[in-house]
Amino acid sequence: MSRYNKILAISFVLLIILSVISLSLGVKSLTLETVFNTVINGGDEDFIINQYRLPRIIISILVGIGLAVSGVLTQGIIRNPLASPDLMGISGGAGLFACSSLLIWPEVHSALLPLIAILGGFSAAFLIWLLNHFNHPSPARLALVGIAVSAFLTSCINFILVLHPVEMNSAMIWLTGSLWGRNWDYIWPLLPWLIILVPFSFYLAWSLDLSALGEETATSLGVNTECLQVLALSSAVALASVSVAVCGTIGFVGLLAPHLARLLVGPRHKLILPIAALTGALLVLSADTLSRNLAPPLEMPAGVLTAVLGAPYFIFLLYRYKGW
Amino acid sequence: MTLSFLFPPKKLMSVFILITVLLMGFVCSLYGQSEFSLRVNDVWNLFVSYDESNINQQIILSLRLPRSLTAAVIGFNLGIAGLLMQGLTRNPLASPTLFAISSGAACLTALNSLTVASIGGLSNEAVAFVGALTGGGLVFLLGGGLSSNQNALRLILAGIAINGLLTSLTRAVLIIADDMAYSLLHWLSGSLSGIDWSSWSQLWPLSLLGLFIATSTCRGLNLNALGEQTAASLGVNVTWLRIRICLAVLILTSISVTVAGPIAFVGLIAPHLARAWCGSNHFMLLPAAGLSGAALVCWADLVSRNIIPPAETPVGIITALIGTPFFIYLILKGKR
Repeated sequence: MSRYNKILAISFVLLIILSVISLSLGVKSLTLETVFNTVINGGDEDFIINQYRLPRIIISILVGIGLAVSGVLTQGIIRNPLASPDLMGISGGAGLFACSSLLIWPEVHSALLPLIAILGGFSAAFLIWLLNHFNHPSPARLALVGIAVSAFLTSCINFILVLHPVEMNSAMIWLTGSLWGRNWDYIWPLLPWLIILVPFSFYLAWSLDLSALGEETATSLGVNTECLQVLALSSAVALASVSVAVCGTIGFVGLLAPHLARLLVGPRHKLILPIAALTGALLVLSADTLSRNLAPPLEMPAGVLTAVLGAPYFIFLLYRYKGW
Repeated sequence: MTLSFLFPPKKLMSVFILITVLLMGFVCSLYGQSEFSLRVNDVWNLFVSYDESNINQQIILSLRLPRSLTAAVIGFNLGIAGLLMQGLTRNPLASPTLFAISSGAACLTALNSLTVASIGGLSNEAVAFVGALTGGGLVFLLGGGLSSNQNALRLILAGIAINGLLTSLTRAVLIIADDMAYSLLHWLSGSLSGIDWSSWSQLWPLSLLGLFIATSTCRGLNLNALGEQTAASLGVNVTWLRIRICLAVLILTSISVTVAGPIAFVGLIAPHLARAWCGSNHFMLLPAAGLSGAALVCWADLVSRNIIPPAETPVGIITALIGTPFFIYLILKGKR
């Protein structure tokens, strides 16, 4: 077995072990035996396991995959190690649109929510693109612009939450990202997008490798760079936005997962993508598991935990970054 | 000669205009938007012919006046803190918010006031001071403030990361302490609701101390603008100057955060407004930055009360909504 397959297998096994642990831990801790019995046969704990914990675990895995793949695409195209959907304000835009549509028209159909979020994500991306187009900031400056845009969008979310006060945990979903109260209903709007977009990004992986060589080289090797940029960034925006539509802006996953994957398996996107997806899923799942179990029955938002992990890593990246 | 050199009449005029703007905001916030029908007359009468039995005057005296005064002083503090930081680092983006000084103070204050075991039995002000020091110190260390090739953007990016970390931690503390703590979320984005005379008496002595230290650094800051080596060769004790500036910034920011939470971006905007009107002389800039900050917070407070009348929007959200576009503008402008 090659080293790559080993890494892939290990992260996959880790993900499964973590899911099982996450199923058994909580306000009411259950034995592994009960967990397996309930998943297969149902029973007394059916509600806790199958209706409450299982959908949350599946959503965290899906969201982690979405954010991580989105991060890989963004970093691959912008070729800026500090780029990621949440630092570029895309998550902020999606969050703002999703949150305002939910609070202003509470009866909005759940299948529409990802579409609204995608609209928000694209608006934010368009704003960044405009600023970038007319000003040509350096990579570090671009990262800063993205952060400023996302700070602006976050304060808009804050503002809307003040206009339409909601319960604390729901507010936390939009402010820091949380999987509180997420059940099977939220999986169906999310799933089709991931089923289409994740394989599509695998299809783009080879072109992304070439575009890493520089635009001119990529063009001479037969890559339509403009087309690639539009396709990859659009899928990145869409992936991040649908994830945000379900559980808010869980920060730093889109930044961390691609970096960890690159650290593990080198620069080829075809190899990076699966590892990054698994790492992203692991990150969100462990954040959610911890968030349920740190101070039960209280819940910490998962976004708080990813920020605690992600912010120091971001600073470490700043240390290594040489392109000032 | 020195006086007209240091305070040229034209620049004094802009300070005068700033004072007018501030006073207008101040008076408006004294009578504007209330469940009772307060009028300008009541404000006027309060100062001219005080009548103890007049309910309107009593409302203004006991609720509105401390709030407006506090808003003005906090704005003044934050404006000056921002100015000192920008003068010291010669970085136009430096400000208490972006260097995580506010969020450090907020984080430790939240920890101190909510957890069962308060930190070493210290008062809120002292804890906020320690928090401000920790936040700012972390940013400075991790942003490469000590290394030989300093970079302005790197410091700011590190500041934003630490800021995000500390804000998340504060939220976690708030949730663990009390999951119904919705009002504390308001405090976390900076709010002036619930201010009374006791907050005012908590605020003014330390603000005065901070202002006093800040004033003493003006000459040093003017020379520091020429570069540290030039300043040193002109007889400025640069280390001592830095210590005084840091002290002033920490005192001014931490006392403001203790009273009203981290009100964002005032410390970033105010010095730039002041510089646009009053040039680069810190003797003029100091009052101008303070007054712009005060006017900004007063007006933002007025707006925050007018948006959804009975309830209140945290003033920090309003300043953030104004401040972030301005921040983007500064980043993009800085390239040229």
